[in-house]
Amino acid sequence: MIAGPASMLLSARGISKHFGRNAVLQDAGFTVRGREILGLIGPNGSGKTTLFECLAGLIPTDSGEVQFRGGACPPVRRKECLFYLPDGIRPWAGQSVAWVLRFFAAIYGRSPEEGAALARALQLEALLSARIGSLSKGEAKRALLALGLLTPHPLLLLDEPFDGLDFRQTREVMALLRTVPAAGRTLFLSIHQLTDAARVCDRLVLLSKGRVVGEGTLPELRARAGLDEGGLEEVFLALT
Amino acid sequence: MPSPSGSAPERTRLFWFLAKELRELLASRAFWLLLLMIGPLVGHGFITAVDSYAEASGIGGGPAALAQGLSPLDGILVPAFGAYDLAVTLLFPFVAIRLVSAEKASGAWKLMLQAPLSLPAMLLAKGLALVGAWLLAWMPGLLALLLWKAYGGWIYGPELLNLLLGHLLRVILSCGVAVAAAAMANGAASAAIATLGFTVGTWALEFVAAGRGGLLAKLAAYTPTAALRVFEQGELRLATVVVAAALSLAGFALAAVWLATRRTLPSRLARSLAAVLVFAPILWGAAHLRPTWDLSENRRNSFPAADEAALRQIRRPLAVTVYLAPEDPRLMDLDRNILSKLARILPRVDIENASHSSAGLFERAGDHYGEVWYQLDGRRAMSRSTTEPIVLETLYRLAGVEPPPRAAGGEYPGHPLAVRPKGAAPLFYALWPLAVALAAWLHLRDRRRS
Repeated sequence: MIAGPASMLLSARGISKHFGRNAVLQDAGFTVRGREILGLIGPNGSGKTTLFECLAGLIPTDSGEVQFRGGACPPVRRKECLFYLPDGIRPWAGQSVAWVLRFFAAIYGRSPEEGAALARALQLEALLSARIGSLSKGEAKRALLALGLLTPHPLLLLDEPFDGLDFRQTREVMALLRTVPAAGRTLFLSIHQLTDAARVCDRLVLLSKGRVVGEGTLPELRARAGLDEGGLEEVFLALT
Repeated sequence: MPSPSGSAPERTRLFWFLAKELRELLASRAFWLLLLMIGPLVGHGFITAVDSYAEASGIGGGPAALAQGLSPLDGILVPAFGAYDLAVTLLFPFVAIRLVSAEKASGAWKLMLQAPLSLPAMLLAKGLALVGAWLLAWMPGLLALLLWKAYGGWIYGPELLNLLLGHLLRVILSCGVAVAAAAMANGAASAAIATLGFTVGTWALEFVAAGRGGLLAKLAAYTPTAALRVFEQGELRLATVVVAAALSLAGFALAAVWLATRRTLPSRLARSLAAVLVFAPILWGAAHLRPTWDLSENRRNSFPAADEAALRQIRRPLAVTVYLAPEDPRLMDLDRNILSKLARILPRVDIENASHSSAGLFERAGDHYGEVWYQLDGRRAMSRSTTEPIVLETLYRLAGVEPPPRAAGGEYPGHPLAVRPKGAAPLFYALWPLAVALAAWLHLRDRRRS
């Protein structure tokens, strides 16, 4: 299935990025449709985080173009279109979870009730008075997800949203994320666990060594790989 | 689903960012350490100053100095607040650097770059929080002033406000340098080295300028220490204020360039160069601003009022040629007693130091060494004096102006006070550190999870 212009939210074409002589992204291009969960799949070091940081306008690209709702979206305006939640960050370690949630809710014009509802949904209520720096990896991930979900942008980029979560928490967060498109937002998730990606994503972008090697639903990718059956792992191995 | 553009109003967001910065400061051990140390530092300066002032005032039956020589500005205010110069040089930069570097290191800055507030506004919030923190650190200094008043000491309001303005500008300049270093450096340690390098560089500039004069001396007049010295002398110079403010702004502008990570390195370098090109003429112009105000109670930066009135009759440019080496104490006397005062009164004073010799012990001075030539309307007069009445007489003769009669009275009375600093030691050495340690413990302790 090819995305039609009506459903296209964001498109990226020819994104390239070098760090010194190392080509991290090479002519990467894909389309994000409205109200979907798109997965960015690739092994460690394939350029997923770099691609997200380029999309968010946090680092400069060597070349490439990003369009949002059919119009040009230069890096300086990206924060109006999308929000990127990085993986492995521990912001404001000395502040309490409650205050950081309140801060995000306030600057993005969300009500305290919305923040409280997210804290409930992500089981953060018992951690509200704890400092960010004292949280475990999984707790910090849930607090960060709450920050990301508090932002009002049409497109939310989450880098490794399940990293650090246990099996039960992963299922619960997946269930929560599945409700997001229904509320009008689009999710673009970077995931290196293929089984997680297959369970939560509507469509997938496969990234290998900085190149997009496939884009579509699992059946579409399977067909492209020339496979009659098999899961995402088989498809990924066949296409890379 | 609200759009980002429909989020909280700009002013509300700025308030929340300011609150965040203040909370981050309070979460910083460096800030609490600064607060802890500033009390004893101020206390030491104040206690030593009060003791010295009391001895000069004749406590314990010793010989008292002339009352006119006892000014609380020199005797109490400057030494007590001198601790802040030390703290702003060696302690405060670490607090300022942390406010930027911690967000860069923790990844918080990636979130902030996407926040619905402009980068300059975010830096404004950081700057305001840092100045607010510094005002909190002024508490021991203000306690010292209260003690001084309680002892029966005299404080001349304009002098005090001018001194506080000088210290405020000093800390804003320090913020600009530290924030720029933190933005440009990879980590807090590199930023700290860069900031201390800047400080040591200004000290070196002052040291070299003291021996060479010329352009270096003009530059050295705007180092943080030299700029503060102007305020410590009770003088308010517009040039010093504007140069310090512009330098601080330049630091924040550089920080804004380097914190915008979406730009390439060549783009950041080009913008940094552009910032330098924009601020260089502003600084040059600011350095030539002439308005100054003598806010000292004893009018140490001014001639007597009658002489000033007489000197104002001279409307032509005065050229002064000085044959004194930069390190010669006579040049310092001449500058402080005569030249800087003339520059405040006359419409134009062109000063040239024509000495190519040195006042070194083993070097031969030039033939004209020690001479000071004054030229007005083509007429010239020479004087070797650095004493105010003698030079003024020379100038009146040269300008054909009737010297004013020497008026008796109206001199600065001085404010001797022979008291010991009772209660100061327990307050600054025990109570203040204990209070700060307790507040820090209450704020920084790990909270239990609910």
